[in-house]
Amino acid sequence: MLRSTTWRQRQALLAYALLLPGIAYFALYFFYPIVIEFWASLFRGQPLIGNAQFAGFANYTTALSDAMVQRSFLITLVYAVGTTALTLAVGLGLASVLSGPVRANTAVRAVIFFPYIISFVIVALMWKSLLDPYTGILNSALVALGLPTQNWLGTPSTALWTMILISVWKDVGYAMLIYIAAIQGIPAQLYEAASIDGAKPHQMFLRITLPLLAPTTLFLAVISMISQLQEIAAPYLLTGGGPANATRLFSMHVFETAFERLDIGYASALSFMMFIVILIVTFIQFKVLNREVVY
Amino acid sequence: MPRRFLHGLGLAATTALLMAGTAHAESLTVYWNAGHAYDAYAKVIAEFEADNPGWTVQWERFQWPDMRTKLVADFAVGNTPDLVAEPGGWVQEFAQQGLLERLDAYIEADGSEMGYPEDWQDFSVSRNMLDDSYYGVQIHLTCATLVYNTDLLAEAGFDAPPTTWEEFREVAMATSTNGRFGFAPNPVTSYYWPWLFQNGAEFYDPETNTVGFDSPEAAEALQFVSDLIHDDKAAPLPVAGADYEGPQKLFTAGRAAMIITGPWDVTPIQTGNPDLNWAIAPSLTNKTQATQAGGVSLMIPAAAKNKDMAWELLRRFVSLEAELEASLANGMTMPRKSWAEHPDVQADEILGKFGACLSYARDITAEIRLTGKSAQVGELLEAAVDEIIYNDQPAQDVLSRYAQEANRMLAE
Repeated sequence: MLRSTTWRQRQALLAYALLLPGIAYFALYFFYPIVIEFWASLFRGQPLIGNAQFAGFANYTTALSDAMVQRSFLITLVYAVGTTALTLAVGLGLASVLSGPVRANTAVRAVIFFPYIISFVIVALMWKSLLDPYTGILNSALVALGLPTQNWLGTPSTALWTMILISVWKDVGYAMLIYIAAIQGIPAQLYEAASIDGAKPHQMFLRITLPLLAPTTLFLAVISMISQLQEIAAPYLLTGGGPANATRLFSMHVFETAFERLDIGYASALSFMMFIVILIVTFIQFKVLNREVVY
Repeated sequence: MPRRFLHGLGLAATTALLMAGTAHAESLTVYWNAGHAYDAYAKVIAEFEADNPGWTVQWERFQWPDMRTKLVADFAVGNTPDLVAEPGGWVQEFAQQGLLERLDAYIEADGSEMGYPEDWQDFSVSRNMLDDSYYGVQIHLTCATLVYNTDLLAEAGFDAPPTTWEEFREVAMATSTNGRFGFAPNPVTSYYWPWLFQNGAEFYDPETNTVGFDSPEAAEALQFVSDLIHDDKAAPLPVAGADYEGPQKLFTAGRAAMIITGPWDVTPIQTGNPDLNWAIAPSLTNKTQATQAGGVSLMIPAAAKNKDMAWELLRRFVSLEAELEASLANGMTMPRKSWAEHPDVQADEILGKFGACLSYARDITAEIRLTGKSAQVGELLEAAVDEIIYNDQPAQDVLSRYAQEANRMLAE
């Protein structure tokens, strides 16, 4: 018994020793900045670089009634939910088609996946060029068809949805690949049994495929929501947050508050609030989507 | 044992040699705007390195927003560059935070030799001062004015550029044909200030500590530009974004007859379309002739490791020789009075015309910067301009609403 405990202790020590570099990395580069950020959020002005006055939780209470914060938060929610829902829906649709015996499906999958591995800088340059209202190829096509030109990224009513569609175009390949892998993991016998019972293809999709993909959907939804709620590259590179703040996502607002306005304490509070929002959203997603399905 | 000892000795000797070899390899880090990396400045750096053996200059180039992000992060960790170029406004903003080196002692020692501040345009000195101390030295001094396509105007029957708002509107409407626009406005808010100044509007009143951009004059100016876009169809809606080059690109492609820009767009236009026939006109007049001043200053962070050498390099960058070489090759205007009076500058058509605007150019944020709230108020004005231009909202209503918020912010 004594020898067994000692062995276990040694094992535990070894495990901790092996984990130590990872723990140290996360402590230094993730947890320490979070602590510093929370500390900075308790100050008014320029903590970390210049003049600052302790303000307690005043930055947090100010943020709750700040119209610009509320607006950018709502825009971010629309962007995150819109991008996630569309990416998952289109990804699932493509996966359903391309997981079957389709000719050249490997090549088609590769083409759809390709945008995912491109830097958003290149994606933004490409789409800005394509959508340019005066020199873009899409508007040239509209002119050739006798239709009026469109300023998709320059019109407040269309800019956010244009940005969402560009993000979906970039990310859909990843969702598609994960869904294909999950679909291929569903036992064929389930479909055979359903077929013998007279189930139609759409019934099989709704009653077998979709429920069994719930863990995959949860994974993709959580990862996508966390990523989209923190998104900054899209508005920074495509629109600068405009026109008329129509695409000013929360992260962009935090970034400008910190680096343009130099209001670092307030930006830290906003950042910490978003951290809490992401925790809550992730918790809700787990509660709603994490339902085990067994046949 | 002797072998181990010899190994140890060898290692120690190698380390000592390496350290001795690097002892004099000093480096000076300079942050610069990517668009201003002129050959003349590369030559200044090469001469500096040649005159100071063992010193190398890390000339790091950025777009302004990226440089600001990096610089603020540098300030936060205390690892700053030695010399920084800034686009206007940063000197006083960072000096208020105690982040910049006071240059009084350097200027006292070298000022008379380099002609500072006597040889600099007066407002280019005051915009780099705080509480009677020097924190920066102007290297470029610019202003924006009307640039027009001579062929498109001639095609529409105009043999001279417009001089007033009425004439401008007439020319803009007449040249808006065949998929071309009479005027291409810029999405960046500072480009609207020539209109505001020309109509007698002010940004800020230091006596009442209130903004002036909700005045009827300001509203009329912004409504004029908005109407050119939405009612007259003589100008396109600017492409949203922080990129100020959109109008220049339309102009260079021959798709816009007129733009408002400064010397920074000379090289892109000349290289982008060498066959384009274009010219520079004096700024427009409505109630008065005016435009906004801009430009670049050099500053030394308080935490810089090599302040003396940074000052030495700064002196070389702002010398009259460097100014002449950089400006004649690139069309950039400069702050020295002796530069403006130089025969080569006066003989240069582009420099002469841009240089002429400096006499009536005004610094937009000169007074509000001293409140320390320039960026916050500027953000509100930007939102207001966006609402007027992109959402076609009545200028006076929008400006009154945003001015109320700005005044509340200033009163805090």
